[in-house]
Amino acid sequence: MSKELSVGLVGRGGQGILFATTILANALFNSGYYVAQLQSYGAEVRGGAVLAYVIYSTERIENPFTESFDSLVMLHDVKIEAWEKIIVSSRVVIADEDMVRGPPPHAVRLPLIKVAAERGLSGKENVVALGCLAGIGVVGLDALQKVIPRGRDSSGNLAALRLGYELWLERKAKQVP
Amino acid sequence: MRKLLLTGNEAVAEGALATGCNFYAGYPITPSSEIMHYMARELPKRGGVFIQSEDELAAINMVIGAALAGARAMTATSGPGFSLMQEGIGYAVMVEAPIVVVDVMRAGPATGQATKPAQGDVMQARWGRHGDQYVVVLAPSNPQEAHDLTIKAFAIAEELRVPVVVLTDEFVGHGREVVEVSEVAEASSRRVEVGPQEAPFYSPDPRKAPPLPPLGAGHYLLVTGSTHNEWGYRDVHRFETHFKLVKRLKDKVWLNKDKLFMYEVVGDEEPEVLFITYGSVARSAKTAVRKLREADVRAKLIRLKTLWPIDVPELRKLGGEPRAVVVPELNLGQLVYDIERAYNPFEVPVVHYGKVGGGIPIYPSELVSKALEVLKK
Amino acid sequence: MSKAKHFTREYVREEVLPTAFCPGCYNGVVMNALALAFKELGVRGLRNYVFVSGIGCSSWIPSPYIKADSVHTLHGRAVAVATGIKLVRPDLNVVVIAGDGDLAAIGGNHLIHAARRNMDLIVIMVNNLVYGMTRGQQSPTTPHGKVTLTTPYGNFEMPFDIAGLLTHTNANYVARWCVSNFTQLKESIKEVLTKYSRGFRFIEVWAPCITYVVRYEGKTPGEKLKEMREVCVPVSKYEGLSGEEKVKYVAVGVFKKEDKPGFIELYREYVARAGGAHNE
Repeated sequence: MSKELSVGLVGRGGQGILFATTILANALFNSGYYVAQLQSYGAEVRGGAVLAYVIYSTERIENPFTESFDSLVMLHDVKIEAWEKIIVSSRVVIADEDMVRGPPPHAVRLPLIKVAAERGLSGKENVVALGCLAGIGVVGLDALQKVIPRGRDSSGNLAALRLGYELWLERKAKQVP
Repeated sequence: MRKLLLTGNEAVAEGALATGCNFYAGYPITPSSEIMHYMARELPKRGGVFIQSEDELAAINMVIGAALAGARAMTATSGPGFSLMQEGIGYAVMVEAPIVVVDVMRAGPATGQATKPAQGDVMQARWGRHGDQYVVVLAPSNPQEAHDLTIKAFAIAEELRVPVVVLTDEFVGHGREVVEVSEVAEASSRRVEVGPQEAPFYSPDPRKAPPLPPLGAGHYLLVTGSTHNEWGYRDVHRFETHFKLVKRLKDKVWLNKDKLFMYEVVGDEEPEVLFITYGSVARSAKTAVRKLREADVRAKLIRLKTLWPIDVPELRKLGGEPRAVVVPELNLGQLVYDIERAYNPFEVPVVHYGKVGGGIPIYPSELVSKALEVLKK
Repeated sequence: MSKAKHFTREYVREEVLPTAFCPGCYNGVVMNALALAFKELGVRGLRNYVFVSGIGCSSWIPSPYIKADSVHTLHGRAVAVATGIKLVRPDLNVVVIAGDGDLAAIGGNHLIHAARRNMDLIVIMVNNLVYGMTRGQQSPTTPHGKVTLTTPYGNFEMPFDIAGLLTHTNANYVARWCVSNFTQLKESIKEVLTKYSRGFRFIEVWAPCITYVVRYEGKTPGEKLKEMREVCVPVSKYEGLSGEEKVKYVAVGVFKKEDKPGFIELYREYVARAGGAHNE
């Protein structure tokens, strides 16, 4: 079987984790992958911990229950034991600098929420996170741009995508020894 | 054929529409509501009927009324609502109304964890009603199968005039995957003409359902949930009438076990460890079987698509003679009792691996460890 | 002896006669009123009718006695099943006949929601004031003070005025008649089949259980009828009574009579808005 890759998003209800994951799944689907999108959240619409992810492969997904992510973006700390194991064992982790104080130690911390607010994009940290994933190379920036809703604030969404993408590239440039 | 990215719930709705479902009554309940939302959007456009009922008691009974009037009718719900529907499902068994009920299982009992997956309704789906009654229970393990088995459910319901339960869980219902959607599925298998020696509540062939002329066709049908004879006349006293009726209702399902019992088998023909499971959990079991075989442990999975009726001798034949059987379920033990009928637990260890709550799946690594543990490797 | 058949014969399944009702049971009055209404309207055969009933004595009126399609449902679920049938076959007259226990207690939620929806059904509630089939327990319409199997010291609860309740819903037609008002009852039935032929139409028939109410009061069916001629008073007269007197009387009449579009028509409009076409 071909390799199945996984990408996760973690945050709190109201941060748009499910929305962003759906956009990501759509973009991967349109890029020709088989995808499986799953999520876990509480009954409440806002405030509870949310974990959502996409598994993608060139073949049908055998099993969507992954025990680690190839890449993960965290917009908030989560205190759920069962998720911590998955988070800690994930490969590439990008975490919001201000909202994620806890594990994993190997997370790359970026000021996603702060910079989004500075650029007039508050509340779009979920889309910024997608931009980061495009930066990592999980999905093409153009594929995301194609499926992101073009509502009243489409320019906002596009700017947020671009911002995330650039934040990651900037950081990567700094990491070069 | 269209290839779409759908949740299991949406896939159920697409399957139902593809097979001509034209009536939906339901009451909102997590995690099944998306089926209802989809039908609310699609049925009016297609000239069908969608109605949001005052409760699940109304939903199931509206669906039965619609089915008797000639519609292809369904409802969907989750644990608490499914409990409320039980009496109606028993009525549908008795009057032989072809209906489809989808239960997207969540963690219970009572309100439990409304958004979290579970597989605790297996016994309820089979035996939730009072009296002697037999229904068919199908259990898809992914959105594609949710679509396909919903189509199958309608076909079985109409052919056998029996309620068919499609038992999914929150992982299947809210999981979003690529689904190949049928445009037009098989036509209705419902027979409406009463043939010679037949009656609306009698068929000379015990494996065949009687014909079901719709209401309003001038047959002066008598439909009753009380014990009745072949023409629907109530007989609430005689042994013969009652026994003949409930026996026929059982035989219609039971004697068709060969057709109704569906499964998938993967792995080694003669395994050391045999997994038997269903629904979303079967996907982890499949991965576990692959990993065990990569580690030179002979392993096999029987994934049940049908949870009722179960053909126990057939199951035993499929399973071969393993050293141990592992039955993983998102509950504290339900299917495992059937497996103990197939394998004598005093001779072969039949091990239940159960876990439920918090939205935590059973991971392949747990099943690999469990297999090695029971094999003492 | 006259060779002419009784007028009900055309509309009943003769093979199941005589009925299982207690001698003197007022269910016969309801059957006669229905049959005479059909006859006077010139209805020949009930092919366009589906009768739906629940569990209880009056639910046996259509199942098996009326010669038409009939669906004898679970206790309390007649209105829900009838709704399913009507939505699929709007061309059929769907008539629910059931008792006060069935419609007002265990099926109460379906009744008020069908009224709210102005669902295109005719519902005839035969109010016998008790659970007759199960030997006379208190029902939601059992009068205050009445001794029943479950109120052996006299009913201390207050009864439900179902017709009154439904008058305040979106239902199109609400009436109450006592079995002593045979002609008015028959005319009401004709009215909901002709001039007021859409929406939710509810007729309560005050028909005290002959065995567990009337006999327990030491009265014959005839004596009870005579009594009803006095205590069943037009709603206009009833309104003028004092609170104390009201307890002794039953208000009868048509409480509400409208001809708004029912659920079916509203649903058709809705479907048209969605771009579909609901089956005729």
